[in-house]
Amino acid sequence: MTLYVVRRIGAGILLLLALSMLVFFLLRLAPGDPLSSYIDPMVSMTEQDMERLRQSLGLDQPLPFQYIYWLGETITGDLGRSLQRNGQPVSELLMASIGPSMLLMLSGSLLAILFGIVIGIVGAVRRDGPADVILAALSSVGVSSPAFLTALVGLYVFSGVLHWAPAGGMQEPGMPFTLSGLLSHLALPALILAFGQTALIARYMRSSLLEVLHQDFIRTARAKGVPRRKVILKHAVRNALLPVVTLIGSTLGLAVGGAIFIESVFNWPGMGLMMVTAVEARDYPLIMGGTLAVGAWVILANILTDVAYAFIDPRIKVG
Amino acid sequence: MKLTAIMAAALTAGIAFGGMTQFAAAQDAPTRLVGGFDVGPGGFPNNVNPLLATTGYMALTLAYEPLVIYDEKIEKVVGRLADSFEISPDGLTYTFKLAADAKWHDGEPFTSKDVAFTLNLAKDTASGSVYVARLSTIAEIATPDDQTVVLTLSQPNSSLLDTLTKVMMLPEHRLAGIAPDTLARNDYWITDPVGTGAFRFKQYSPNQYIEYEAFADYRRGKPKIDQLVNRYFKTPAAAVAALKAGEIAVSYVEADDIKNFQTDSAFRVIEGNSQVVNYLGFNFAAKIWDDVRVRKAVMYAIDRETIIEQLYNGKATAANCGYSAARLVPDGLETYAYDPDKARALLEEAGWGEINGDKPISVLTYYNNDQANNVMAAMQAMLAQVGINIAPRTVDMAGYNATIYAKPIDPSQFQIVYAGLTNGPNPGNLNIGLNAAQIPPNGSNYTRVDIPAVSEAFDTAMKQTTPEGMDKAYSDVCKAMNENLPWATLWETKRYGVESAKLKNLNWQPAPGGGPYEMHPELWELETN
Amino acid sequence: MATTPISHPRAKSPARRALGRFGSKPGAMIGLAVFASLLLLMLVHPLVSGIGPNTIDLRAINQGPSASHWLGTDGVGRDVFARLLEGGRISLLVAVTSSVASLVIGFLIGAVAGLGGRIADAIAMRSVDVAMTLPPVILLLVLASITGPGIGPTILVISLLSWPVLSRLVRSRLLELGQRDFVVASRGMGAGLGHLIWRHALPNSIDILVVFATLQVASAILLEAGLSFLGLGVPPPDASWGNMLFAARSTTVLTNYPWQWMFPGLALVVVVLAINFIGDGLRDAFDPRSEGA
Repeated sequence: MTLYVVRRIGAGILLLLALSMLVFFLLRLAPGDPLSSYIDPMVSMTEQDMERLRQSLGLDQPLPFQYIYWLGETITGDLGRSLQRNGQPVSELLMASIGPSMLLMLSGSLLAILFGIVIGIVGAVRRDGPADVILAALSSVGVSSPAFLTALVGLYVFSGVLHWAPAGGMQEPGMPFTLSGLLSHLALPALILAFGQTALIARYMRSSLLEVLHQDFIRTARAKGVPRRKVILKHAVRNALLPVVTLIGSTLGLAVGGAIFIESVFNWPGMGLMMVTAVEARDYPLIMGGTLAVGAWVILANILTDVAYAFIDPRIKVG
Repeated sequence: MKLTAIMAAALTAGIAFGGMTQFAAAQDAPTRLVGGFDVGPGGFPNNVNPLLATTGYMALTLAYEPLVIYDEKIEKVVGRLADSFEISPDGLTYTFKLAADAKWHDGEPFTSKDVAFTLNLAKDTASGSVYVARLSTIAEIATPDDQTVVLTLSQPNSSLLDTLTKVMMLPEHRLAGIAPDTLARNDYWITDPVGTGAFRFKQYSPNQYIEYEAFADYRRGKPKIDQLVNRYFKTPAAAVAALKAGEIAVSYVEADDIKNFQTDSAFRVIEGNSQVVNYLGFNFAAKIWDDVRVRKAVMYAIDRETIIEQLYNGKATAANCGYSAARLVPDGLETYAYDPDKARALLEEAGWGEINGDKPISVLTYYNNDQANNVMAAMQAMLAQVGINIAPRTVDMAGYNATIYAKPIDPSQFQIVYAGLTNGPNPGNLNIGLNAAQIPPNGSNYTRVDIPAVSEAFDTAMKQTTPEGMDKAYSDVCKAMNENLPWATLWETKRYGVESAKLKNLNWQPAPGGGPYEMHPELWELETN
Repeated sequence: MATTPISHPRAKSPARRALGRFGSKPGAMIGLAVFASLLLLMLVHPLVSGIGPNTIDLRAINQGPSASHWLGTDGVGRDVFARLLEGGRISLLVAVTSSVASLVIGFLIGAVAGLGGRIADAIAMRSVDVAMTLPPVILLLVLASITGPGIGPTILVISLLSWPVLSRLVRSRLLELGQRDFVVASRGMGAGLGHLIWRHALPNSIDILVVFATLQVASAILLEAGLSFLGLGVPPPDASWGNMLFAARSTTVLTNYPWQWMFPGLALVVVVLAINFIGDGLRDAFDPRSEGA
């Protein structure tokens, strides 16, 4: 088991390296001089100063050398400085925005998993009943509605028309931190983030449970006279949950995509909002750092899922 | 009977106690004002360094003060940290008498040494200062005593007082130890900066807010507001939502959103002239605008009258040069009335097909609101009709500055800018964007305008020492701009602010760049209910 | 593709049976009907309507739905209906072109991985792993920041992003297939990789390809809309559903002029739903397991 975990982590690190290479070379294709990523536009510099800087940064070297230099800096925690935002170090900006993003994504995913499992069970048990049909229709709409559209509609209805939710942000600015303040700002974006993913998990849970319900041991249990309710809750759901666990990893990964839109509609101070502004301003060091952080997050989520799955399902060969 | 008495006593005591605690609460609860002071075109969110300020002066004057400042009506310059000032008749000597009781937030006295230090720093390109070129006529700074500063100029400068309203005084005792070239992004600005203003810096959260507390020893009286928060918004629309929700008490508001507040007695709407001319600035470094016929074609292609009438509801005035004040606009200017046929003919003559043809032209702007987006869409459609295809890109102020001042400059990123520049109260404000002497790194002529007729007109105007001479000289600038079109000048609009009816004494004005003007932050009050 | 003779002797009748099964699915048929009628409307409208999608009319801005403008006008007086249909054409153009491109890339990489031996397989699958590590939107942002906005770059960005799933599907199908005698036989007879891909991999993956292509059009529409919504996809004045929704990022448009964003939003959801129904129908139709049900 330990060996398995170590190997998964090793593979994850390799993947992250490959990703950093991909993003590094991609961003070098971007128009403009990479040197400008290292210069504060507000500080005056002569041509000679710039040439000297170019040499000291190794920007006159061939690309693979530049990558190795950059990687060294990155590993030691120096991701460069943002081109805008007062030239703050990228690592600081990332640290400040990871927390809010995690909060939004984890609470959204948690809600999605809870709702999804419940809806999936109801759908499978009352197969083709009115509840199933309505849930199926809702989940189809959920899958087909992009996060920014549900976010807009949610903002329009709950904040613009009903005034139930604040217009955006994470808490009252400058006010001492209160849990209720945070929760009231979190509720709407987290629910909207959950909306799209609930559908996916519900579909998966429903079909997984249906499959289990057709298996022999369930039929046997039923034949032995175990009540239907008990069979479903005790035997079927537990078995059906197994494949759903694999989905949790990809849910956390998918949450990143949805969170970008939701953060930018709700002005939530997370990674997504930061990435979008960075792309608008072509702030390459920040784009690079943000991409790596998101990649690490997704890889980590996948490793955790695999490990959890290996723990839960003894049939998986480990090692 | 006894029981009733006890109960009555308990009840009375309870009420008294409750009342007292309530009273105590009213005494103790600090008054807290949250506002959007950096919203809209006059704002510069996240700028914490006064030397880098191109706008955002309203927020800066909460904690900092300049030597002199515009009065409440933004008409004339009066003393602030200077109790009084004198200008010699030849316009070459400026003498400032400083307020004797001014103190920094850390308790140190404010003296003439600080003034000399600040001005030298603001004249030093290494500090990243945006005032270098504007202060370049100061040849000598003398400090005969702690309360006196004498500036000697190399030549008269009719804009110097205006510039000095924008230079916030900085503490020598805190900054002298920091090398100027590391100062621009130093952590000092976001950890413990001190000023002399009514409010003292408390904390800064990037993209969220900056928080201040009352400076108890403020020389004009302890502020009535205990805590002040300047909240940042990604768009003015987000600020409008916060204003409506009661989250903030004052903000700049787009003209489109005004109707939502006009009928609501909980708010006051303030309207005023923006004193900012909007323009399409041709980036001469892009090498496609050298022919004046092409620039004229852009003017003829845009139906400014209809845009003003429909998209601005008439709340704007067309500008045929950088000014629209009657005293500065001479007779006989070309009005560039909408004429797409003439535009096409001019482009044909100039050989536009060879110069650029239908390749998309990048337009950079920091105007990020519906109205600006719609105006941009209208101009895009109008220019497309004559064969000029523009591709607009909207970024925030920081992104805008990062692009226009990028080193090395990449003109393909902004072949045109859609921007605005302050043309008042002092008309010399346009000099920094149009005079060849102000091409970066010296100043902010980032579209690299180098038209001798325009630069010479500005140089003459800057040397004037009388108001009449200035008006005459700036109307010559207007004429030169109208003929040579360093910019396609568009219009000057009205601007709006909205404040909560509970707010007292906050004299919000649509000042260009947010000020600086006399706002008396120490007198602001917030009614509680 | 349709004219390629299918070598597998049993291929013809399952395909026909699949079609029959597809026809008996009400969801899929409704999806097809909705999609076809919208497509027809998009194609016919510019021929019969006098109002162009980019014609501004500053004297008729922000008007609600009326007889002259069925879905109202936007902030510069452009007809929302005309723009909605133009947006549909552009969204579909982007979606279909990028789906075809990712279909080709995904199929070829999957086929090479499945048939080309261990080394090719390892290289192809590791690159799939890398491409699948990043959430699509992030990679989309990175690519868009490099290419800048534009219809061409948007197509490129979406194509480069969407192939890995297909590669995996094709590869696992072919690995199953690789055991089969006739592939071994063809290899033994000296058939090249190209021949194997063309004569065996393609016909045997055709069901995967059809289903993928259909569902990919839907997800490409969503990706394009998302990118344009962030201002990084199709640039104005060209209309797309995403950049029409972009306008709703302002509270004024969101609350005062709902017709400017609700209709494109609705169109987006309806079309994506319809395509997803068609795709689900196709998948069920091709899945032999659903035969008995």
